[in-house]
Amino acid sequence: MSAARAARPRFLSDRAQFALQAALLGVLAASGLLIAGQGNGYAAQLVFNVALSVLLATGWNVIGGMTGYVSFGQVSFFGLGAYAAAIGVLHLALPWPIAALLATAAATSLAVPLGLIMLRLNGIFFALGMFGLARILQIAANGLNITGGPMGTTVPAAEGPAFPAAVTVVIAAAAAGVVAALMRTRLGLRLMAIRDDPVAAEAAGVNVWLAKVAAFCIGAGFAAIGGALYVWNIGYLDPSSAFAGTIELQTVLMVLAGGIGTVWGPVGGGILMSLLGTVLWARFPMEQQIVLGALTMLIAVALPGGLMSLLPRRGWMARPPIWGPPREASEGTLLPAVRVAVADTPGPVLVCRNLGKRFGGVAAVDGVDLEVAPGEVLAVIGPNGAGKSTLFNLLSGFAVPSTGEVEFAGCKIANIRPYVLARRGVARTFQTSRLFPTLSVWENVLLAAISRHRRKAHAVAAATELLERMGLREDWARLPQGLPPGRRRLLEIARALALEPSVLLLDEAMAGMTGPEIAQVHQVLRAAAARGCAIVAIEHVLPAIAPLAARVQVLDFGRTIAEGAPAEVLHDPTVIAAYLGTDMAGTEFAHA
Amino acid sequence: MATFATLVVLGLLWGGVYLLMAEGLNLIYGVMKVVNLAHGDFIVLGGLLALTLFGRYGLSPVVAFPLAAALLFVIGAAVQGGVLERILLAKPEGELRTLLATFGLSYVVANTSFLIWGSQFQSIPFLQSAFAVGPIAVPQGLLACSLLAAALAVAVHAWLRHTAVGRAVRATAQSALGAAACGLNVRRLRIVTFALGAAMAGGAGALVIALVPFQTSSGGDLTVQAFTLIALGGLGSYLGAWLAAELLGITEVMAQYYLGSDAAAAVIYLVFIAVLVFRPQGLLGRTMRI
Repeated sequence: MSAARAARPRFLSDRAQFALQAALLGVLAASGLLIAGQGNGYAAQLVFNVALSVLLATGWNVIGGMTGYVSFGQVSFFGLGAYAAAIGVLHLALPWPIAALLATAAATSLAVPLGLIMLRLNGIFFALGMFGLARILQIAANGLNITGGPMGTTVPAAEGPAFPAAVTVVIAAAAAGVVAALMRTRLGLRLMAIRDDPVAAEAAGVNVWLAKVAAFCIGAGFAAIGGALYVWNIGYLDPSSAFAGTIELQTVLMVLAGGIGTVWGPVGGGILMSLLGTVLWARFPMEQQIVLGALTMLIAVALPGGLMSLLPRRGWMARPPIWGPPREASEGTLLPAVRVAVADTPGPVLVCRNLGKRFGGVAAVDGVDLEVAPGEVLAVIGPNGAGKSTLFNLLSGFAVPSTGEVEFAGCKIANIRPYVLARRGVARTFQTSRLFPTLSVWENVLLAAISRHRRKAHAVAAATELLERMGLREDWARLPQGLPPGRRRLLEIARALALEPSVLLLDEAMAGMTGPEIAQVHQVLRAAAARGCAIVAIEHVLPAIAPLAARVQVLDFGRTIAEGAPAEVLHDPTVIAAYLGTDMAGTEFAHA
Repeated sequence: MATFATLVVLGLLWGGVYLLMAEGLNLIYGVMKVVNLAHGDFIVLGGLLALTLFGRYGLSPVVAFPLAAALLFVIGAAVQGGVLERILLAKPEGELRTLLATFGLSYVVANTSFLIWGSQFQSIPFLQSAFAVGPIAVPQGLLACSLLAAALAVAVHAWLRHTAVGRAVRATAQSALGAAACGLNVRRLRIVTFALGAAMAGGAGALVIALVPFQTSSGGDLTVQAFTLIALGGLGSYLGAWLAAELLGITEVMAQYYLGSDAAAAVIYLVFIAVLVFRPQGLLGRTMRI
């Protein structure tokens, strides 16, 4: 306990940090309610606008900021919510609260199929695809006669803006609270990992699809409530205002100005930018959008992190580390680093036969047989372009073989998604290290640990133990870029081991490490192998892995050219020829 | 049958117009891997400029074409040199920041146009008669635009293939780092490319406003239309873009005729999303190098 306290003083405890943030949110909401309750219609309308902006920005941020899927059509769900609520009130004679709830539920459910389609896209394609979606919906609304087609319709509205303003303030504050809480859950951690690197997230056992669609639905839900509240307040609805590009621009600008991907960015940006928008609208109605557009450009160029990036990274407004800091490790609580169940199966745990992968006319892997038994360390070496990394992609489910098959623990892995394999016990590292740049060292390991452990206490204990063993404990709060290259490699191995794998695939994991770091890795790998973990290690050169490996398999041009104990393989003339080249022998280059 | 044949011919000609409107975006994407979201607003700006030149001085769109292109060239150079060059594309969030910056730019351009020209739909009456080829009536304006689009496509292609600057631009497209290592001024090449892409948008607008009326807020639709086309063609590919343009032209004309104009407007977006989801590599498979 005392050591844990000693490690903390640089930071507030995350509970204190959470309490402070909740208090600030409460103060903001209370001031909103006070102003709305004053009886001044103009002030109440202003509060409504500000709160609605915060709500929309917060919703956009869940998919655009936390998950990294920037959307130019989030207004689709605002419009859907608005239309669904209006139809509920007008044609089903529902009372407003029920219409709004049903509208939100309807838009959120619709987000599931839409998300399944749209989230196949990424980057610019997703952003513009969403823009297209909003336009399709707007055209559909033009053709909807029960809501007046393109001319729109009036809807029975609230009496005066005070009540809607108060309700919207409460909902916006709740939405911000939900996002703050989300950032401290498994889903939140997974979303941020997906934003940083979807491939590495998949390798760490994250069901990328499910997490993305969940985030899409949450963001859609917030936007849909906003749409319903908007109609309730204004009492009028038409396609061009329900699916307005202006709303999209303002939402994006608010999130960007406040700080994309943070809890407080959308709140602060929402408040500031909606006030600015209102002032501009009052003074310069014609020029308002020019100024907002120019501001978006300015922030994108000069302050991409928004206002939040001006605050200290570990200040009290920042995101507290998820489930941190690491607990005090004591020998008694250490968990086994590999699962015993698979290790007990007799025979090889990973087998591949006649495995091949062609890219166009090139056979990157061409009929490779490989097997590795529990507790065995197999080194795969070969010159550049020998097909080593492609082999790993095939073994870990990231690539589909053109010929042959892979069996893990007696089951064929064809058509098993990489994250499922990772959870079942095939862990891997990448040739160029793929850590999550915006997650702390601790969270990088924790992400994999939560794929393995259902219980929080177990995941925390396992992540703690791995940081301890790798000597990374002191660095738990740093970002990966803050570590020297060798220690980044250690962290990536720790992340793979946090899956408690039965098979560990290391892709040039020891490249760029110092001698003591290699010694540390050897120690950890020996411990893992001793408990039954099968290790397949690719290395460009043999010495880094030779002390551990009982067997070496040499690849060249996608085929196995030699196999055996390290010492014999190193003296095999075929291997020497593969590394040094046969064509060169006897030519003037060989003598040079 | 004659109706169908007419629709196909009209579709092919409209395809030329779509190509004209997408070529600038294709050039910029091909070289910088960046989508300029203000592209449609550049087209509208070029068109409205031609409108003013026609209204005030009675200049025909053919004369306005180089003038609009020249103005947009200057604007494009200023945007790339003054704003976008400050975002380092090498960084992972570079693409996103560029996208957001051009998203903001599109509002700046559209609303500045709105201040000058107002919000109503406007067009230029130009070459409005048609001549008959057998049973098919071919509108002259459409034919002129389509031919100009083809000429422009060939000219750009020739410029990229056969001039020193064009080759330098292609080198930058394939590897900016490699081009810089060969002593090319990559920054200047990017500015020239962006300016040229903007100029093509402006020139296209000056012609197209004679065919379809523009409104200052039409830019977003035109951007998506152009992007659909180059995505369908395989981003950065010229032959692919041309094929996609013809396909889109025929689809659009058919949808207009058989389903009505509202449905036709939705068709382009449906095609767009379908292309992105089912054929992200474009019509011709792998993206070809320019």
